[in-house]
Amino acid sequence: MLIIDTICALATPIGTAGLAVVRLSGDDCLEIADKCFRAKTCIAEAKSHTILYGKMWNGDIMLDTVVASVFRAPNSYTGEDVVEFGCHGGMIVSGEIVQALIEAGARPAAPGEFTKRAFLNQKMDLTQVEAVGDLIHAVSTHGSHTAARQLMGGFTKKLSELREQLLMICGLLELELDFSQEDIELINRTELCEKIEAAQKFCRDLAESHRSSEILRAGYAVGIAGYPNAGKSSLLNALVGRKRAIVSNVPGTTRDYIEEALHLGGMAVKLMDTAGFRESRDVIEIEGIQLAESLLEQCNLILVLNDITLGETHSQTLLRELQEKFPSSEFALVQNKIDQSLNKKQGVNDKQLVPILLLSAQTGQGVQTLKDFITQKALENTKGVSDALLNARQAALLNQAAACMQASIVAVNANISNEFIAIDLREALKRIGEITGSIWNEDILNSVFSKFCIGK
Amino acid sequence: MNNIFDIIVIGGGHAGIEASVAAARVGAGVLKVALVSMDLSSIGRLSCNPAIGGTAKGHLVKELDALGGVMGMIADKSGLQFKMLNRSKGPAVWSPRSQNDKDLYPRYAQELLQTTEHLTLVDGAAVEILVNHDTVRGVKLDDGSELKCRAVVLCGGTFLNGKMFTGLNCTAGGRVGEQAATDISDMLASYGLEKGRLKTGTPPRIAAESVDWSKTEPHAGDEHPQPFSHRTTSVENKIVCSGTHTNERTHAVLREGFDRSPMFTGRIQGSGPRYCPSIEDKIDRFAQRDSHHIVLEPEGLNTNSIYVNGFSTSLPDDIQLRGLHTISGLENAQLLRAGYAVEYDFFFPFQLRFTLETKAIAGLFFAGQINGTSGYEEAATQGFVAGVNAALKIKGEGEFTLKRSEAYIGVMIDDLVNKSTEEPYRIFTSSAEYRLLLRQDNADRRLMRHGFQLGLIDKAACEQMLEREERIQYTLDYAKTTKLRPAEVNGYLESVGEPTTSEVATIDLLARRGGTTLEALLEIGSGESGMKNWELGMTNWKEYSSSSFAKIVEQAEIEIKYSGYIDRQMKEISVFAANEEKKIPETLDYATVKSLSTEARQKLARIRPASLGQASRIAGISAADISVLTVYLR
Repeated sequence: MLIIDTICALATPIGTAGLAVVRLSGDDCLEIADKCFRAKTCIAEAKSHTILYGKMWNGDIMLDTVVASVFRAPNSYTGEDVVEFGCHGGMIVSGEIVQALIEAGARPAAPGEFTKRAFLNQKMDLTQVEAVGDLIHAVSTHGSHTAARQLMGGFTKKLSELREQLLMICGLLELELDFSQEDIELINRTELCEKIEAAQKFCRDLAESHRSSEILRAGYAVGIAGYPNAGKSSLLNALVGRKRAIVSNVPGTTRDYIEEALHLGGMAVKLMDTAGFRESRDVIEIEGIQLAESLLEQCNLILVLNDITLGETHSQTLLRELQEKFPSSEFALVQNKIDQSLNKKQGVNDKQLVPILLLSAQTGQGVQTLKDFITQKALENTKGVSDALLNARQAALLNQAAACMQASIVAVNANISNEFIAIDLREALKRIGEITGSIWNEDILNSVFSKFCIGK
Repeated sequence: MNNIFDIIVIGGGHAGIEASVAAARVGAGVLKVALVSMDLSSIGRLSCNPAIGGTAKGHLVKELDALGGVMGMIADKSGLQFKMLNRSKGPAVWSPRSQNDKDLYPRYAQELLQTTEHLTLVDGAAVEILVNHDTVRGVKLDDGSELKCRAVVLCGGTFLNGKMFTGLNCTAGGRVGEQAATDISDMLASYGLEKGRLKTGTPPRIAAESVDWSKTEPHAGDEHPQPFSHRTTSVENKIVCSGTHTNERTHAVLREGFDRSPMFTGRIQGSGPRYCPSIEDKIDRFAQRDSHHIVLEPEGLNTNSIYVNGFSTSLPDDIQLRGLHTISGLENAQLLRAGYAVEYDFFFPFQLRFTLETKAIAGLFFAGQINGTSGYEEAATQGFVAGVNAALKIKGEGEFTLKRSEAYIGVMIDDLVNKSTEEPYRIFTSSAEYRLLLRQDNADRRLMRHGFQLGLIDKAACEQMLEREERIQYTLDYAKTTKLRPAEVNGYLESVGEPTTSEVATIDLLARRGGTTLEALLEIGSGESGMKNWELGMTNWKEYSSSSFAKIVEQAEIEIKYSGYIDRQMKEISVFAANEEKKIPETLDYATVKSLSTEARQKLARIRPASLGQASRIAGISAADISVLTVYLR
């Protein structure tokens, strides 16, 4: 028989905090806990969902005063017996407690192992497991809210809606094959195509929300581009509020890229300062520029910084080139060094229709306006994510499902018989099943029987 | 009469016929087989519609024939009309169906049984299966006599606690005019076998001379009728069926009888098949439809009986007749026999092994409706599998089972063992995940070797098939290696509305196009040598005949045209096979696999799947359960 060994690990993030939690889970959990924990009652006798106050010991050495929360299987996070020790914060105390538990017979948990056990014990489905990972990694308050919604099964609901649509279409196809003798009005090809396309759009939209999900998870990416010496590093420093980039007035100073994270209005924003764009013979600088382009590709918003003292249209060419190169990004033209110029036109650029912002990275004038602007853009971009926070695997499976549907649309248009169309649609159903973890079985006929009058 | 046998088959329906013939032939003189029937003259009766085959069912008949079963042959001999269904679709879903003479079918079946060596027909009703230490040792008949045996194949049909309903009248019996078997069902339940209740029905029969045929629409058979069996050389159409339909008046009349319906008044508790609902069920569930299709099927050449297909009902006689009279062409219809519903016991098939032997009692096999299936073809194929395995078991020669990837028979038995039976089970093409490969046209190529190994297919037939196989392979290779020049082929491409080619292309590539045929391309290849080369290749085999060319080219064409899809299915099969290889020990105690969900644990313990693949097909088992099992078995 399979023995579930007992694992332990620090369950709270590493770092400075007042309290920390060490989690212990597995078959020998209660026994091991009692070897280290001493109090009026021993843990083995405690009821589920009770809290005991006591002391943690490693042999003769007292480690800390703790509270032990006891959860008995299956009513725990992992579905196994679980004890959670709330101890004083910091790495030293919690580290010693983990060490003591290991000496008492536990094994250090592998990353994600508690959640894996929760999955294996049917405490959550695959999407929920993934959401827990996202929750832990959620970098913004928005992200954690969505992750919480996914835990509640919002995403699962959307998926089952998609699955229903596909089952219905498969049912229509089978109707024509298995019940051709019946007098049933069969669906025509145009209508069939429309139905598959609708399901495909639903699937694509869901997959598309991955992009917004990525913003919530990894942060809204903002790139700063501009000709050398436009003041990109100064702007980065002004936004971050401390000196991070090396600033000099020698053009081409930023050869590597600099990335900074900051929080604006509850959103995580990733700021990237890139090397200046100019024809360069310096090999290192050329590489820097290539790197800049690959970075800008990932950016949701690209700020093209213009040195207004050289004329407000000085960076027009660069802006146009970047717009052509990165059509899916948003752009803004930022006129820098307004403290040194008399020209103060703000609004929308007539030619490229991009917002224009005026500021001085040096004096800080207009920097708050830019921050507000970025916040607003970041919020706009995450509006699409109402229910689902997708990870890359889920998005990939949804895209595969959409591709299968595309193949079936091609087959429909080529006027190929239903049994071939069905193959691609069943493939799509399988992909969706891989997301939810539920195995596809013969629900197709149920869809037929519930909606059509079969049988002569 | 000597009362000692090796195998006793109980029941002379379609399952019983195949089981007894297969057992006697596989037993090959070593085993003595008996068929016990309550009424020897009713053996092989077509108790519902006078037809064999249909979508997916036709596949079953062809498979059975390739294995050495007898249904296809009897259907050909007694056939009145032949049709290949789904001709407008791809070849995988073509399904043969025949109308049959309800007098001739049983007559030929009985003749066959009487002439089968080592098979004894016993007139009597089985009342008890004698069991000792959970092993079969005989059968007790209603006259008190005991027949000894080592295996029993029980094919009780609807006779186990059968009850027939017409309106509020209820009589015990499995079929009109025949008694029910009540004792065996209870006796089996006492061995812990779980039973359930199902329902099926049949429409009224009317007199041919009372129908106004001019008001109906003729349904003819195929222009070139094809037989089911490889043993039959040719068949012909002898009758025409006719179509008509119900209308709102019909529905209104039938509704008047709903308060006397055994279904709507709760007298029938068993669940009926959703794919074959009664007319009252159709009217009730699909109230928005103002018309339903009816097909009038003659039941034979020497009878005036007409089967009213689409009008299955258990409403009272008077309502049935009044309802029929509202239908175009049936205004003066005369009722020969009213429609009725039958409710009967079945045993949940998860209690079976893949050989159809019960897990509870060694040597006891179940086949047909007792396993919750409906249909002659489903019953016959199960009877065959059970009969063969009963014989193999007693001879000590292993098991005969088919996989889902090999045959519809494999799909059906796997479905039966894994899925919960909530309605009578019927085979569908959509049940076969590898249906592009499980075609009716290649049943012989898939299964004849098995039939030969069992001794049920003669050497000549098997050799012919193998030879055809070689020729198909030769043709495929030829198509892959023979190139056609644009000048040779463009004229033909234009004539079939395909774009012309500017480059030399292989026949294989050109044949993949929708509008081309392999036959035409092989002919174009001739020029100086082309077709001649192909033909020459073909003559290298003995028994060269151009008539068998058609079948070879057809097979090769299907493989070329659908190669993309077929290759995909082949890949899927290799994944499927890998999971079937991951065996689960029969003795596994699921209670010790802690991380399984309660539902999964119960289902797995009940069904006891033999492999991870099988476990994954059980309804209600999730991917998480499978990963738990995978981890556990590692």
